Amino acid sequence: MKKHIWSKVYFFLVLAILYLPIFYLIYFSFSSGSNMDHFKGFTWRHYQTLFNDGRLLAILLETIMLALLSSLIATILGTLGAIAIENVKKSGVKRLLLSLNNVLMVSPDVIIGASFLILFTTLGFSLGFASVLLSHIAFSVPIVVLMVLPKLREMDNSLIDAARDLGASYYQVFSQVLLPALTPGIVSGMFMALTYSLDDFAVTFFVTGNGFTTLSVEIYSRARQGIDLEVNALSTIIFLFVLLLVGIYYLISNQQGKKGSKLGGLLR
Amino acid sequence: MRKKQSFFLLPYLLWIILFVIAPMVLIVGYSLTNSQGHFSLQNFTLFFSKGTFIGMMLNSFWYALLITFFCLLISYPAALALTRLKNQQFWLMLVILPTWINLLLKAYAFIGIFSRDGMVNQFLHLFGLGPAEIMFTDFAFIFVATYIEIPFMIMPIYNSLKEIDPALISASSDLGANFWQTFRYVIWPLSWPGVESGIQAIFIPSLSLFMLTRLIGGNRVITLGTAVEEYFLTTMNWNMGSTIGVILIVLMTIVMVLTSRKQHKKEIKL
Amino acid sequence: MEIIKLDHITKEYDDGFVALKDINISIESGKFYSLLGPSGSGKTTILRIIAGFTEPSAGKLYFAGKDITGLDASKRHINTVFQNYALFPHLNVYENVAFGLKLKHRPDSEIRQKVKDALKTVRLDGYANREISELSGGQQQRVAIARAIINEPKVLLLDESLSALDKRLRKEMQFELRAIQKKLGITFIFVTHDQEEALAMSDEIFVLNDGTIQQSGSPVDIYDEPVNDFVARFIGDSNILSGKMIRDFEVEFAGKQFECADAGITPGEKVEVVLRPEDLDITATDPKLTMTVQSQLFLGDHFEIKAVDESGFEWLIHSTNGVKIGQEIGIFFDPEDIHVMRLGETEEEFDARLETYEGEDKE
Repeated sequence: MKKHIWSKVYFFLVLAILYLPIFYLIYFSFSSGSNMDHFKGFTWRHYQTLFNDGRLLAILLETIMLALLSSLIATILGTLGAIAIENVKKSGVKRLLLSLNNVLMVSPDVIIGASFLILFTTLGFSLGFASVLLSHIAFSVPIVVLMVLPKLREMDNSLIDAARDLGASYYQVFSQVLLPALTPGIVSGMFMALTYSLDDFAVTFFVTGNGFTTLSVEIYSRARQGIDLEVNALSTIIFLFVLLLVGIYYLISNQQGKKGSKLGGLLR
Repeated sequence: MRKKQSFFLLPYLLWIILFVIAPMVLIVGYSLTNSQGHFSLQNFTLFFSKGTFIGMMLNSFWYALLITFFCLLISYPAALALTRLKNQQFWLMLVILPTWINLLLKAYAFIGIFSRDGMVNQFLHLFGLGPAEIMFTDFAFIFVATYIEIPFMIMPIYNSLKEIDPALISASSDLGANFWQTFRYVIWPLSWPGVESGIQAIFIPSLSLFMLTRLIGGNRVITLGTAVEEYFLTTMNWNMGSTIGVILIVLMTIVMVLTSRKQHKKEIKL
Repeated sequence: MEIIKLDHITKEYDDGFVALKDINISIESGKFYSLLGPSGSGKTTILRIIAGFTEPSAGKLYFAGKDITGLDASKRHINTVFQNYALFPHLNVYENVAFGLKLKHRPDSEIRQKVKDALKTVRLDGYANREISELSGGQQQRVAIARAIINEPKVLLLDESLSALDKRLRKEMQFELRAIQKKLGITFIFVTHDQEEALAMSDEIFVLNDGTIQQSGSPVDIYDEPVNDFVARFIGDSNILSGKMIRDFEVEFAGKQFECADAGITPGEKVEVVLRPEDLDITATDPKLTMTVQSQLFLGDHFEIKAVDESGFEWLIHSTNGVKIGQEIGIFFDPEDIHVMRLGETEEEFDARLETYEGEDKE
């Protein structure tokens, strides 16, 4: 029994280390000093600065918009792609498509960023919101494909036959049978695409140009100039927001019956 | 039927051609040309003739290896401990939650924690030690990278551990195995797929953590990832940058082919 | 010789569910035992306690006279064949079977010889290098047995081991299991919910329900003389009627009085009467009861007939000859075919009563 106690202690130690930097940031967001070494008296000042910083708030909003838009388009593309791959009859072609699909999954971000940069310049595409959006869509498509494919394979093929047998048109089969069966995969694929986009720094950094910035890039450039407690205030807000989302998710999944809804889809 | 088929296939194929094949062709093309746009192998000869590049290459893989190793070392016991807790889904959620805080924010936190008067040095001071220069060292880079990747290792290992049939653990102990024997002969090999996907999820991204090298590792060009960024965005020598990128891709492919090869069992004659 | 003894074993789970209530069992070496009961009856809990996977809340477990209640499963001379075999999927047949010996760091040559012998015992010679996933259910079952007997245990526990097999294979494995047990000469404790399996293989059966042992004894004893209506219903098909004891060797049911083989019951006491469907003969002359046929199923080796008597009781009859639906038939049975059960009588009381009037002519 003793072994179990130590394993618990160890787990909570790891958990504590995971949260330490986050709470460190939050703690100093209330410090009236200018560094993260010594706490100097409580203040809301950094939050006031943050909420008056129109530029940063705009970037925050744009980042969220970018994530929503890119994940939505990537989900549509990826779902179509998964269906297309599953429909391919020749196993050689299928394998080729799958390998090409996985190229972006296994490539280091710097390579993706660099090669997209070359691509956009070669095509004469100006760098900015559009190039970032296209890049985010591009690197989110393969994960959606990978999340939808297993659902397609699991699906009972006789379902489609049954629908055809009952007189459903091709479009009806797609919307009434295929899509509902794929929904769990599509949803988790979209969720992954969303986190990919919100999380990305490296690719965006390469293709962003001068006009457009995402939150990651903005934090990077501020952090390179040293400590800025406005960034701490921003992390508090982000943390609270994430906490809220997770709380809502947890409540919903708990209500939907406790048959162990898998959290797998929540990871990048 | 054929028309409907292409309705699904066409957009996806377009994506593959535009964002998978074209960038690959372009980066290889750039690596094989000089700044005037003529075919040349000079970038490759430069890479393999200069010790700094070779050293950087070895460094990149060594660091990626260290980060992956420390992640595994810390995450495996944590995942195992997690399988024994009550409310596992809740604790798992808490493990995953930090991954939604932007990576740059977490890196930024360590600028404070590791600084000359930061938390770690204040702590060391209590024992009459320090102050140690932690920022801008390789240690700081590896530590922060490991910290960031831990949840991505715990998750797949936990999932593969959960998939092990508890009856197998019972069977092992029924046949006389103690805890360590059960771990070595049953739990570890059966959780290997999770370990493998954890390694994959960490090794590759840790090659491109140039922002960490810049922020924490002291702005030095110590890994191939940083080098690619340097050549593309600072010195604007895309040809050399592409060459390093291509070499990185080739090395990765070799590593992946080597690790995914299946071992064949020896036949036993009775 | 007694090898395992469960002494006042009780198991209560954290949530308050009582899985076992005061179980006392004595297991002798070299015999084939079955723990028979419906799901939730506690039979698997007994098995897990003997194997060492579950600790009893109260009571003691003895192995060859030694108290092993708290001993770790890995240190017991008992091995288990698990319900779904629990074969290690990452190891092949040879490695699975050799697992127990490898742990003990035995020399390779010895391991090879023993694995070879074990595979031969379960008739899987030549399968050593197969992967588990390549084997059929029956073959996996045999590997599981080979793996469990390689450590030369004194007792082998089998948890619902045949339930995953199809019917034909199950029959085959019943013979095989019995043969393996005879060959090894060790004790088998077999957990099952299938009464046919238990009857076919066992030297002795423990019938369990609701965490208590309802009856124990040889298959014949349990089939012919169930101690209560649970056992009567659970073991085989039966016609159970309420009746009244007239005097010794005479009982009343279905509105008539019949000669029977039971005694030692107070005259006038309410009882239950068991008649097995195969003991009922359809006869044209001198019937003991008459009834009307309601339905009939042909089951290959016999007909299963349902018929209603004058009191409205629905009878189940097994007959080699068919009848016509709606037909009036006569039924004949011998006094020995009637088994009388007292309400609420325990096994000990039943045995004691049996002693009083049957003691001398039995054995």
